[in-house]
Amino acid sequence: MRPKTKKRLIRALLHGFLVVLAFVTILPFGYIVLLSFGEGVVGAEATIPEAFTLGNYRALFEETAFASWFINSLLLSLAAMGIAIVLVSLSVYAFSRLNFFGRFKTFNFVMLVQIFPLTLSMVSIFRIFMVLGLLNRLSGLIIVNSVLASAALVLVAKGYFDTIPKEMDEAALLDGAGRLKIFYKIIMPLAKPILAIVAMQSFVLAYNEYVIASAVMTEGIDSMPLAVGLQSLIVGQYGTNWSLYCAGAVIGSIPMLVLFYSLQKYFISNLTSGSVKD
Amino acid sequence: MRKLTLTLLGMFTFALLSFVSTDVEADDQTVRVWFSHIEAENEAMRDIASDFSDETGVDVEIISRRSIFDAPNDLANNAETANRPDIVFMQAPDIGRMVYSDLLKPLDVSDYEDRYASVATEAFYYDGQHYGVGYSVDTSGLVYNKDLIAEEDLPKTWDEFFEKAEDLTTHTPCGAIDVYGARLNPRDMWFNYPLMESFGAYYFGRTPDGSYNPYDIGLDNQGMLEYVDFMRDLMDLGLTLDNPNQSESHISSNFANGRLAMMLYGLWNASVYQSRDIDYGIAPLPGKTEEQPSEALTTVQGFVVNEFTRNEEGTLSFLEYLLEDENQQTLIEAGNREERKTGERNPANLSVMNSDYVQKDDILSSLSELNAHAQPFPNVPEGPIWYNHAPTILQTIFYDDANAEEKLEELTDAIRADVAVMGETYEHIEIPWYVHLLAALGVFSLVGTVVFFRRRRRVSIKAGNPPKWRTTLFAWLFLSPFFILLGIFYVFPIGHNVFLSLTDYSGVNLRDYGLIGFENYRTIFTTGITGLLSMTIWTFFFAFSVIFLSFIMGSLVAVILDKFDMRIAKIYRLVFILPWVIPAIITLLMWRGLLETDGGFVNQLLQLMRLPKIPWLTHPVWARVSSILVMTWFSFPYYMIVAFGMLKSIPKESYEAAEMDGANSVQVFRYITLPWLFKALIPVLIMGFIMQFNQFGVYILTEGGPTTGSLGEPGATDLLITFVFNLAFNTHRYALAAAYSVIIFILVGVFAVLSMVVARKRMEV
Repeated sequence: MRPKTKKRLIRALLHGFLVVLAFVTILPFGYIVLLSFGEGVVGAEATIPEAFTLGNYRALFEETAFASWFINSLLLSLAAMGIAIVLVSLSVYAFSRLNFFGRFKTFNFVMLVQIFPLTLSMVSIFRIFMVLGLLNRLSGLIIVNSVLASAALVLVAKGYFDTIPKEMDEAALLDGAGRLKIFYKIIMPLAKPILAIVAMQSFVLAYNEYVIASAVMTEGIDSMPLAVGLQSLIVGQYGTNWSLYCAGAVIGSIPMLVLFYSLQKYFISNLTSGSVKD
Repeated sequence: MRKLTLTLLGMFTFALLSFVSTDVEADDQTVRVWFSHIEAENEAMRDIASDFSDETGVDVEIISRRSIFDAPNDLANNAETANRPDIVFMQAPDIGRMVYSDLLKPLDVSDYEDRYASVATEAFYYDGQHYGVGYSVDTSGLVYNKDLIAEEDLPKTWDEFFEKAEDLTTHTPCGAIDVYGARLNPRDMWFNYPLMESFGAYYFGRTPDGSYNPYDIGLDNQGMLEYVDFMRDLMDLGLTLDNPNQSESHISSNFANGRLAMMLYGLWNASVYQSRDIDYGIAPLPGKTEEQPSEALTTVQGFVVNEFTRNEEGTLSFLEYLLEDENQQTLIEAGNREERKTGERNPANLSVMNSDYVQKDDILSSLSELNAHAQPFPNVPEGPIWYNHAPTILQTIFYDDANAEEKLEELTDAIRADVAVMGETYEHIEIPWYVHLLAALGVFSLVGTVVFFRRRRRVSIKAGNPPKWRTTLFAWLFLSPFFILLGIFYVFPIGHNVFLSLTDYSGVNLRDYGLIGFENYRTIFTTGITGLLSMTIWTFFFAFSVIFLSFIMGSLVAVILDKFDMRIAKIYRLVFILPWVIPAIITLLMWRGLLETDGGFVNQLLQLMRLPKIPWLTHPVWARVSSILVMTWFSFPYYMIVAFGMLKSIPKESYEAAEMDGANSVQVFRYITLPWLFKALIPVLIMGFIMQFNQFGVYILTEGGPTTGSLGEPGATDLLITFVFNLAFNTHRYALAAAYSVIIFILVGVFAVLSMVVARKRMEV
């Protein structure tokens, strides 16, 4: 009996740990939900509103351009996600599988350029957008977000691609398969877990990106992405509407939760790998 | 897989399509107007514009804008491009630096002076000329709760204000304040400025001809000391904010809950007061004497004309047209959402001010009454400087009981020093084109030589197959889309920033900037070096702790969830990614509230467990601990998700081998899973570490504080980037910011290269 009780104890402890962590994680979110139903909320700090209403959610759709922000952000993030998946898989395949001149240098280069604090160089980003005629266009945001995401995710994905056994493509190569075919038929299916992660992260990055979007989308209320639109509810010159912001944040987080829920089967391993289970 | 391919293809097509959307080149004669963020107001303006076009044949395009705050910088960027606006809706305090950069056309406003409130034209008067006409006046006054104080009882002088505030205050049986007679923010200088002024303090003095003298600062005179005494007396009565982490929103929410009789504020939260059934009003401020009420600081928003307008005649005649009384009436009504009368636009036009629309509404009429008691905020480029220093100084005076006289002197000295910095001009260095060419060639050949020789060595040292040209070509084909985009959005900004760091580009020098050599770097190493070192150490420590903790947390949670029953794990996973998917600004503000020393949820919990309160955000050491913990909270989901994916790649054999050796699960985690994850994640971790250097989140949490109380020194939780941002952007020294970013780049770059070398060495061993 003893090992079994010990195992039970460990399980209980693990559950306890998870419950505490979940509580800490959910706490601020709980307050956000409370505030989103709050009436007469002036400040944003975690306080319990004195009265509750559904009015904030109604106002969000009736008085602000929330619906178009939401759609803009969905389009923007989906497109950026698509481009990022293509860019990341192409370049990581090259970095991980192809023995070419400049392989290490270019990989380090990708990491090094990202060190530069882009937040301090908005002036330059703005110039680029102006020269390329991308100002106030969703397409501009799509490109810049897919580049930002790809640059960061190439580093994540490289580690995973390296763990896919090389013997697989060598065998295929011997069978007379071309590089493209190996990439498409062998590597891509095996890389599904990491591609799901790339998808998720590029989506979230594009969805929440604020600094660049706010600098280059200055015209038109309807053309803004969600992050910028919501921000305009609290940094506008006429008062800060935190309840409205919270309601927007709650609805705004739904697409990401849905995406995560539907993608998680790709990157969550089965029950078998553990050693606690025997 | 097929479905995925189709989806991807669909997305790609969409992305391509959005590029082809056509852009009609604006006709050169069209008058373009950058207007409001209120769509109803823009629509009204479009109707006015089409009437105007019918009459005159001049085309006018009205462009909706996101926010009036963007107007100055966007004008500077677009003034001479094809997208140039001709008329811009702008805030008066911004015009100084616009004029300084020759972006605005002086206007003849003599026709408007008797049709508009004096503050409307006065606000746009700069350096002997008028540059715009006001449309809406954003002002504040004495906001009061009619149930607690009747209109006729309102104080007329500041002494009376003090008495009334004391009289109206009631206490609960246990001694806490129930209803505040008045409540002030001691750190504030905007709403309290009229009060300071009534004692004789002033921000920028004026020369006899009416223009501001930014070197004449009256914030350390006898009057200011009397103001400090006044505020300290209010503090003793409990009628100020309890701690420096609280802000105006606390005061406003007291008012919304009916617990506050009077406050010095505007009507920005009026909709909240209405929803809480507060019977509120706004009245002119008390004054030094009964006859002259103090004048509230005011931002006037109005129309200015681009110096580079393409159609001067058309632009000026449209400006004249839209400033006509009946058009102003239409616009103001649309801006206030017609019958809802939100008070968002407070007209500057006299005829609108006297119209039934305004006069028959309590709030709009009392707002427009305030126009007579308003003073525009100084519109000189130096205007915003006091924001950089005054809150810190006022905080140490009122909350740390510092010597007011010394601190105020420090404040005025610091403002004066910044004024001097903004006034500095540098001689531009002219470099002939062939020197550029030679320099470029030199750099190119240097890099080429280094690369050439390095490759030689590497190839000769490294065993294994040398790369083939065919593979290289193929690889570059794969990489080219990514690298082209990387070049545009990463490499160009870096180069451009290096260039900017060698110029005198700044908020007052937006167009006419040129190379000035290494001046900015000299400034940093001679004046900015204090604190740079300690801040660098703290930034490294912060970044390391956050990444270390998030990695451990993330992997641990991923491994535990991996073993759990599918259904429970699915729910946990959804919970744990919450920090990652909700906009950081709102969760950070939540944490700020949760961690508040008095009444914050965390401390209440501690007290329930009979533990002492912890000054989470107000004590230097605890503030650092909190910022590390909160940022770990933010980034652990990211590592959890990455770890999920990586766990799948761990070969089963390793586990089986460990099990055969009789390892328990903790040992398996410590000796197999963690090292495996660490190895796979090294680039991610280094990257994450680097990303922490661009972390602005901490600033929302702690505002860099607690401060040391001395100006120019970083606060306990100031990171390199937040400090630099404040330093450079508050005084609009963009070139200085660029120089800082180059230094940070080099600093972190060297570190990253070193850590990569070490990481590779360790992996090879």
